[in-house]
Amino acid sequence: MSDPFAAAPSPSPSPAVAPASGPTREATVRVAAVAKTYYRDQQPIPVLENIDLTIQSGEFVALMGPSGSGKTTLLNLVAGIDRPSSGSVVVAGNDLHGMSERQLAAFRSRHVGFIFQFYNLIPVLTAFENVELPLLLTSLSKAERRKHVATALEVVGLSDRRDHYPRQLSGGQEQRVAIARAVVTDPTVLLADEPTGDLDKRSEEEVLVLLRRLNQEFAKTILMVTHDPKAAASAGRTVRIEKGALVAAPKDGQA
Amino acid sequence: MSKFLHLVVRNALRNRLRTVLTAGGSAFLLFVLVFMLTALTEMYAWEGAPATHLRVAVQHSTGLATPLPIELENYLRGEEISACAGHLIKLNWFGGYYQDRRNFFANFASDHKEWREVWDELSLPDELYKKWCSQKNAMVVGRGLAKRLGWKVGQQVTLMGTIYPVNPELEIVGCFTGPTPREEEQLFFRWDYLDELLGGRKVVGTFWIRARTLDDVARLKDLIDGHTKNSSDPTETMTEKEFGQQFAAMMGNIKGMIAILGSIVLVILVFMTANTVAMSARERVTEIAVLRTLGFRRSHILFLVVAESVLVTLAGALFSLGIALVLFNWLLLSPSPQFPVFLVEPGTIAVALGAAVLCGSLSALVPAIQSARRKIVDGLRYVG
Repeated sequence: MSDPFAAAPSPSPSPAVAPASGPTREATVRVAAVAKTYYRDQQPIPVLENIDLTIQSGEFVALMGPSGSGKTTLLNLVAGIDRPSSGSVVVAGNDLHGMSERQLAAFRSRHVGFIFQFYNLIPVLTAFENVELPLLLTSLSKAERRKHVATALEVVGLSDRRDHYPRQLSGGQEQRVAIARAVVTDPTVLLADEPTGDLDKRSEEEVLVLLRRLNQEFAKTILMVTHDPKAAASAGRTVRIEKGALVAAPKDGQA
Repeated sequence: MSKFLHLVVRNALRNRLRTVLTAGGSAFLLFVLVFMLTALTEMYAWEGAPATHLRVAVQHSTGLATPLPIELENYLRGEEISACAGHLIKLNWFGGYYQDRRNFFANFASDHKEWREVWDELSLPDELYKKWCSQKNAMVVGRGLAKRLGWKVGQQVTLMGTIYPVNPELEIVGCFTGPTPREEEQLFFRWDYLDELLGGRKVVGTFWIRARTLDDVARLKDLIDGHTKNSSDPTETMTEKEFGQQFAAMMGNIKGMIAILGSIVLVILVFMTANTVAMSARERVTEIAVLRTLGFRRSHILFLVVAESVLVTLAGALFSLGIALVLFNWLLLSPSPQFPVFLVEPGTIAVALGAAVLCGSLSALVPAIQSARRKIVDGLRYVG
């Protein structure tokens, strides 16, 4: 049996959340003719139909739509945690179609930073240890991991809370730790599923500022699902989805 | 692997009461296993270490209860046997007790000459051995037995006979040591003193011979039993291991019974731990989905769940072994022990630890596979 803790086949991440070196405009995410159908009691329930979406490197895209429109499903397909019924999803040059579970895990580890609505931190680990989790899958030494985690926590402004457990943090702080966890491996794309959905106004603003900063200062490519027009306004582009299909997108910067 | 250890430990300690109860249950069940294995080891202890295989016992073919004729000694010391045998002693199981019948220990009337050569794993200093040889009512006592009964060198001790109608009054002239406490739980006094008390009846329980080589062991059996075959007192010559096995045979199929009981204990342990692991995994469905979203592979999840279970059962095993070591040591030093010698052998420790790892792994297998195979999106949507 192979060692499950052998380092992920992908290369070690470069120093966490490396600052932007300059604008690059190649497609980071390319979704083509994607459809997704779930089955309940053998009854097909189409969720996505013929979705085409391209996100350039360094873009910050908001994905808006009513509940049940398929936003999260699309996000999951881009993250490689779900598979399309048809069509193709290419992220950072990786065609996710046909990848094995093991390859998808390696892909997620290397290319995807995921931010959940309810933070989903591990309650028995400190902020530092939560942020360190994705790095455990790399070949980085302990000292290197510490350095990367410290950088990520500094970027989200929580260096002084590194030894706090999630229960000792506010919702906004928990989400910032979750963002640090998402960026610590310097992933190709950040995927955020309603990251402000569970936050008060002040924390929401803090998180949005942080996401904008990650996009503008560190050139992170971000795809954010949101209900909130104000949150969507933080993105450079908004894509609307309704009843499983993309609808005409408003102009850049408009909700 | 070590970099994930803190996650395993933290998860195991997440619900401390449940973990303590599970580890406690494991400890209890594994203690039962250790107890049974230790009892079994003691019952079969005489099956012996390789060093004892050079010793050969000669007893009457009808059994130990029938004495051997003293004249047989002349033959055993003759030229034919001496070619194969280096040393010979007479040895009678005296079966006495000290003060109280519950004070059970092994006590023998033994020839003092060549005693050290035949029982070469026992160590008795020269000056003490000389004293034993020079004083007829002297006896030598295992260090552990003397310590347990509070005996001192120079003390007069009366052994109450149960097989022979005599109560020898003996003086402790020295203590011998052995490779393990088991060998130190016996005493020897002089065969000629017992014979004197019995009025010179020359009753011989067994002869013990130390063969020169392993090849000589088989030769001795053929020679001695062949020599006595057509006499009025035929003998049965056997290795020390065979000698011990005849006692084991009297106990019936103890090994089989303990194997069944041990299996039952392990099955209970598996089910008990499986219940805990299943609860724990069910509570963490979303967390596991989050870990997989971060890039953890199915094999990681399998490992984390199994390792947590093994950690708990191993903690139980270590606790049970600690209790066993302390308790059995206390029993050993207790003045009226029910178990005169109860040693937790390295093999028993290995079996207990192995059982803990095996049961921990088996218990976690189903929940671990379920956790690892669950779709990430289902896990993220899961409401426990």
